[in-house]
Amino acid sequence: MSRKAALKVAIASFAHTHAASYVSVLARVPDVDVRASDPHGADAPDSALRGAELAERLGVDYVDTYDELFAWEPDAVIVATENSRHRALVERAAREGVHVLCEKPLATTVADGEAMVEACRAAGVILMIAYPVRFAPGFAVMRDHLDSGRLGEMFAINGTNNGKLPREHREWFTDRQLAGGGALVDHVVHCADLIDALTGGLRAETVNAASNQILHAKAGLDVETGGLVTVRYPGGLIATIDCSWSHPSTSATWGGLTLQATGTKGSVEIAPFAEHVSGLGDDGEIFLGFGTDLNALLLAEFLDAVRTSGRPVAGQPPRVTPQPDGDVGLRTLEIMEAALRSAELRQPVALER
Amino acid sequence: MQTPTIPGNETAAESARPLVVALLGAGAISRVHASAWKELGAEVLVYSAAGAQELAEQYGLEVVDTLQEALRRADCVDIVTPTGTHRALARAAIDAGKNIVCEKPLTLSARESREVYDAAREAGVHIYPAHVVRFTAPYVAAHRAVVAGRIGKVAVARFFRGGSSPAVGTWFQDEAASGGIIMDLMIHDLDQARWTCGEVETVYAVQSPPTLDNVVPSFVSAHVTLTHVGGAISHIRATWGAVGTPFTTGFSIAGDAGVLHYDSTDSTGLTTSLHGAESSGLVVPTSALRESPYLTELREFAEAFTGGPEPRVNAEDGAVAVYLAQAAYQSIITGRVVDMNEFDHAQAAAA
Repeated sequence: MSRKAALKVAIASFAHTHAASYVSVLARVPDVDVRASDPHGADAPDSALRGAELAERLGVDYVDTYDELFAWEPDAVIVATENSRHRALVERAAREGVHVLCEKPLATTVADGEAMVEACRAAGVILMIAYPVRFAPGFAVMRDHLDSGRLGEMFAINGTNNGKLPREHREWFTDRQLAGGGALVDHVVHCADLIDALTGGLRAETVNAASNQILHAKAGLDVETGGLVTVRYPGGLIATIDCSWSHPSTSATWGGLTLQATGTKGSVEIAPFAEHVSGLGDDGEIFLGFGTDLNALLLAEFLDAVRTSGRPVAGQPPRVTPQPDGDVGLRTLEIMEAALRSAELRQPVALER
Repeated sequence: MQTPTIPGNETAAESARPLVVALLGAGAISRVHASAWKELGAEVLVYSAAGAQELAEQYGLEVVDTLQEALRRADCVDIVTPTGTHRALARAAIDAGKNIVCEKPLTLSARESREVYDAAREAGVHIYPAHVVRFTAPYVAAHRAVVAGRIGKVAVARFFRGGSSPAVGTWFQDEAASGGIIMDLMIHDLDQARWTCGEVETVYAVQSPPTLDNVVPSFVSAHVTLTHVGGAISHIRATWGAVGTPFTTGFSIAGDAGVLHYDSTDSTGLTTSLHGAESSGLVVPTSALRESPYLTELREFAEAFTGGPEPRVNAEDGAVAVYLAQAAYQSIITGRVVDMNEFDHAQAAAA
């Protein structure tokens, strides 16, 4: 029985909580070797398990430095650092000819994002963004209703992505320097990605955002905890996203996401994390989610593209460009950055064309 | 000012003569008003350019042929005509010294609303806008809980409302007559947001597709973002959707000590699946399980007219809701956030 050569997948940092999810998904994928490094884990101000200890708990090979990680000559790297540290690692991966799956948001500034996309393009490496929600089966149905014309002409979208304060697991999510902001950074881009997919990559025209710091005020954060973002697209489509960290800490779940699209023939709404059996126990609410593992679908897409593309060749695009790609990452990052600026100016911001 | 007694007011039940209401208008919403007034034991005169006879026969009303006769004979006036006529009818009722119930929106523009508000106050006439959502059970429950501090300080709220478009070849499509989707439909939730989240500081609005040459698209959504005194922010969404879209409303109000959610499609307490049954098609928030909020509303207004306490919604609330709606249109036109402290209701152009 012939065995395909194992793909070597590096995991750069456990800063993002999704890193652990990726490790557990990859453990179930045949013909994949995984190695991780989390050099900043020891500096984290929170008490979450990080570094070699977390690697041991997850059962994944571990090295102490990114130098050792890249010296292993991985085929692909999953960048799960704090947001502001994405750029350095993605540029390094591009230099070393390693395909990239980058956590969202792509970066904390559009300037960083543009540099990253350019570096990957020049190196011929895949740059895919970890937006798992577009892999939700319900979203495929929504797209089909739109593409087939059953929804009619889509004229308005409403998204919500409300979660608990992410600080419970990782403090950097509420650190302006490392995260780039608060709720506007954490939770606008997932819905923006879905809209990007529905519109075939339409760039936003104007972005208006209102934000405040009333939720979790006692935590004394310097980032926004509540936000409402309205985006206008060329052709008139409007979309509003509630990105607030408004899901109560007493809930049995982290939060959720909904997206409603309204067209001239009706509307479709998805809630990819809503499928569950509910109950009550002595300790409160029971929530048995049975939705599809979206990270598994996201990784399958990425790994397929990495296998098919093979070794990158500088100056040549990879054989397969898996979606969502760096351009999607940039367009959604533009919305995030404009939202931050608008919230500060208290006026809508037009995107540069 | 007359203080007629209405039946149901037990202290004066013996000597009670029915309250005489002049119902101006005989369109869709007149039916729920007519049946509520009859339920309250009122005598109803109906004056309308069209449909008065049919309405009178259905609900046992008396048709009157002139506005003058309606105003002369009535104790109070209930204006349920298309919005564009509210101002003139309200002025006529104020001049006749009659108390007024006026369907929302109070008038079509901030300037007119201010004018009617001032005229009523000067004449000592009560004018109450029929913001029925303030009398609708889930909204009342949420408002009370917020006021009582159940979810702490309000941070982020969302309100939505929508259904099958009424604007397919009707007067709703004429922005000069109906005021458009924000003035006609969203105004309910502009009032709710202000009622539950506090006075409004800024208004930002978008509409898709846009209103062109005064014609509101048949299928349209408007999104408004408000910032409130005290720091809360709210998002309000209204949709005139595809024909046949069920009418739904809902809200989500997040505070620093909890959240409240309501969706009219989830919390009905009554689910039917009866094949062949037809829906009424009327876009009003009624429930088979409790008293109509229109009845609650008109009872409270009637009691206020006869010396009872001030109702939960007053002329100022009606006028401010119109200011907010007009500020939203101003935001759509300018593409800017409108500061309500700088909003000039006298100068702002009509929607």
